[in-house]
Amino acid sequence: MKSDPVLFTALVAVWLSFAVFIFLPLLSLLWTTFRVNGSFSFSNIRKVWSARYNVRALYGSLILATAVSISGTLLGYIFALAVTRTNFPKPVKALLSAVTILPLISPPFTSSISLTLALGPNGMLLKLFGIKNFSIYGFLGIWISETLTYFPVAFMVISAILNTMAATLDDAALSLGASRWRMLRTVTIPLSLPGIGNSILLLFGASLADFATPLILGGHTFPVLPTEAYLLITGMFDLRGGAALSFLLLVPALVVFFLQRQLLGKKSFVSVTGKNGARTEFAQLPKALVAIIVVVCTFMVALILYLYAIILWGSFVKVWSVNNTFTLQHYRYVFKHGRKAIGDTLLIAFLSTVIGSILAVVIGYISQRKNFLGKRFLEFSSLLNYALPGTVIGIAYIIAFNRKPILLTGTLTILVAAYVFRYYATGIRSVVASLEQIDPALEEASLSLGAGSLRTFTHVTIPLIIPAVFAGMRYLFIHCMTAISATIFLVSVRWTLLTTRILESMTELQFSQASAFSIVLIVIVFAADALMSGMLGLITANFQRPQEASYDIIGA
Amino acid sequence: MTSSALELHNVSKTFSKDGHEVHAVQSVNLTVAQGELVTFLGPSGCGKTTTLRMVAGFELPTGGAITIQGEDMTNMPVNKRGIGFVFQNYALFPHMSVYGNVAYGLKARGEKDKDIRDKVKSALDLVGLANTENRYPNQLSGGEQQRVALARVIVMEPNLLLMDEPLSNLDAKLRLHMRTEIRSLQKKLGITCLYVTHDQSEALTMADRIVVMNKGKVEQVGTPFEIYSNPQSVFVADFIGQANIVELMVASVNEETLTAAIPEGTLFTARALKPDHHELTQNLYETGKRAALVIRPENITVGERTAEEGTFPATLTSAIFVGSHVEYDATLAHGSTVKAMVPFVRGMKIHEAGEAVSLTFDAGSAAFLPL
Repeated sequence: MKSDPVLFTALVAVWLSFAVFIFLPLLSLLWTTFRVNGSFSFSNIRKVWSARYNVRALYGSLILATAVSISGTLLGYIFALAVTRTNFPKPVKALLSAVTILPLISPPFTSSISLTLALGPNGMLLKLFGIKNFSIYGFLGIWISETLTYFPVAFMVISAILNTMAATLDDAALSLGASRWRMLRTVTIPLSLPGIGNSILLLFGASLADFATPLILGGHTFPVLPTEAYLLITGMFDLRGGAALSFLLLVPALVVFFLQRQLLGKKSFVSVTGKNGARTEFAQLPKALVAIIVVVCTFMVALILYLYAIILWGSFVKVWSVNNTFTLQHYRYVFKHGRKAIGDTLLIAFLSTVIGSILAVVIGYISQRKNFLGKRFLEFSSLLNYALPGTVIGIAYIIAFNRKPILLTGTLTILVAAYVFRYYATGIRSVVASLEQIDPALEEASLSLGAGSLRTFTHVTIPLIIPAVFAGMRYLFIHCMTAISATIFLVSVRWTLLTTRILESMTELQFSQASAFSIVLIVIVFAADALMSGMLGLITANFQRPQEASYDIIGA
Repeated sequence: MTSSALELHNVSKTFSKDGHEVHAVQSVNLTVAQGELVTFLGPSGCGKTTTLRMVAGFELPTGGAITIQGEDMTNMPVNKRGIGFVFQNYALFPHMSVYGNVAYGLKARGEKDKDIRDKVKSALDLVGLANTENRYPNQLSGGEQQRVALARVIVMEPNLLLMDEPLSNLDAKLRLHMRTEIRSLQKKLGITCLYVTHDQSEALTMADRIVVMNKGKVEQVGTPFEIYSNPQSVFVADFIGQANIVELMVASVNEETLTAAIPEGTLFTARALKPDHHELTQNLYETGKRAALVIRPENITVGERTAEEGTFPATLTSAIFVGSHVEYDATLAHGSTVKAMVPFVRGMKIHEAGEAVSLTFDAGSAAFLPL
């Protein structure tokens, strides 16, 4: 459009914020890594590379990420099949979905803490079965814990794609004489390949970036890059070494990010039908497979519920496994000494959610509906902080903002910015997805009826994308409450977080205290989430969404 | 005011796609009189919707000028043009009630609440949807949604009503009904209307004039009668109604007519048509070159095989009784196929597939067009 002052203002604001909170930190990181005594040099990289321990950390990270992406995707696929392709009763399917949500909204240490309580020193299961000489610390523990934490992501991605397949494809395969196994092998699995690929990449990236789990369960036997970088910086105050290590981490993370964009860039060949034909049911799976699904899902659900129960229980006993008398002392501690952390966390999460959502709406809207120079670069840049591991972002932020002109270390701003530019990505994506579903004709209709572009935006666009905005807000809020990898570098005496308190309790071996903090955090997240969906319900109470295909907002 | 309701001067739209220039609309000229209903008709991708969207202002032309009521609107923003646009899928706001939808433009214009209420009520009365104010779009049938979309536009009393295939989402029966309803509403309100459709019967029954477009260009502008009976190009002849197009060798060019030979030697004379901008038939048709004979199926009669002058021997490949008439497919001796539609009268003989027959072309209705 020739002259669009609103777009121009928005672009200036967005680019400015990117310059400060995305480009400056990353460039500072590269600068610190590659500039030695005033000239370009690989010596920092060479130095960290020459330490055997760091090389082991790199391999450890890659091996772990591979293992987690495979096991998590497999589990996710089994759960997705259970929910989309079996005739399990509705409540069972609801339970499966609900259980997979738990790890998603819990702080990242939850499964590590409960695994420690179950299988760590004085572990409950170890005692029960009389196992001696077993250590949860190391590859096995991290692998189990991360698989538990991230397989729900695989489940969501894969079940979404399994749901969009037309059931008539199953009918076609069977009617052409294929057995159920053959149908699964030649139709269902090939069509879900984009979902499998996406899930593997997502899990690989998540595991690569995970900081909390290896910190608690890694010990010295299995180093990975994020924890090494953290220990180098907080333990030895070696900022250059930390920067160089996080550069090693940045490279595979960027590769994963590019591959994922490549994969998602291709249009899915699964067509979302919904208009034509009678409602048909998916064909039944082979019996042996159903049996496997039943066993795996039962085991997983039992395990997850057990792990959560153990945390709840752990938060109410004096000293885990040593003195199991009931006490409220840990909760008293949390509300007495943790009150500041609770307040700070809530304030930071609230501010980040509001600011992040506004940015997400602006960026999502201009990148879906407007044309301007550098649009693809803007889209790419907006996702950078999200694509990179939190540790990298955290280190980049302390390097960039601990000196003038932008001295932000220890402030509320730096924490909020770290969260906003990392976790608004889901908001942007859901706004874009929602706009793609809304026929531009609706906005054109508004314009042709004499409304200006601002009125059109506030009266037509915003009300239609509000559910998507809320979806992004919920995600943002949950992450601000639970994420730690970037912000662990940024907390200070002035501003602290619940998650850092949990970490402190764990490193002091105060397992029960850590459990109590975790339970409080999970309860807050649940309550806030319920509040937000309640608000959304109120806002859209009068908002009659088109049901089925009687009227579609999808353009013809 | 003597100015016309709408004028397009050399309006063009070019955009680049994958590095190629695509000429979506090329030099369209058109003048629409006050109160006229003009349809844009053509196959998909012919540029008709793009032209309409340029008139609306959703897209800006890359060349030419658009004036509405004598005022230059070429680069005017949509919301200042005073047009009304009815969308193919209605584009009703799903989050607003029927009242909210119809009142939307009036509110944006800043009218008084009381006026808005009165106008919305009378607009809904006009389209036969009184007392539906509180319902939501998804509670309405397709036809009702269509009426709300109409009411939402006419309540604004626009200078120009633009409709983009408004009936294509309705079932066949309702479509026929809405045709007459829209047409009579348009006449009653005296509103100037541009109407895009790919349905030729819709264009023929509703329009004062039809603009036939193909590949971004205007092929012909004329009343439905002119378009149907005097097509100026093979494309128009073929696109509007059914037509047999037989390529023949020109035997002689006369002042107004042409005589051409069928390979077996039979000669046939009919009118020679010419596009508006051509002066002489001589330049268009040359003896010894080929020309297209256009004849509508209803202008061919099928009879017993005779050797009579002016008849064409043929073999029937199919004969289908469709109630009001009989449809025949026939192959002429030299191989080209033609379709004939003979009105069915009780007691008449229906020929059968495989039968050897003679076809008679009505020379008065047939015409030649340049290839």
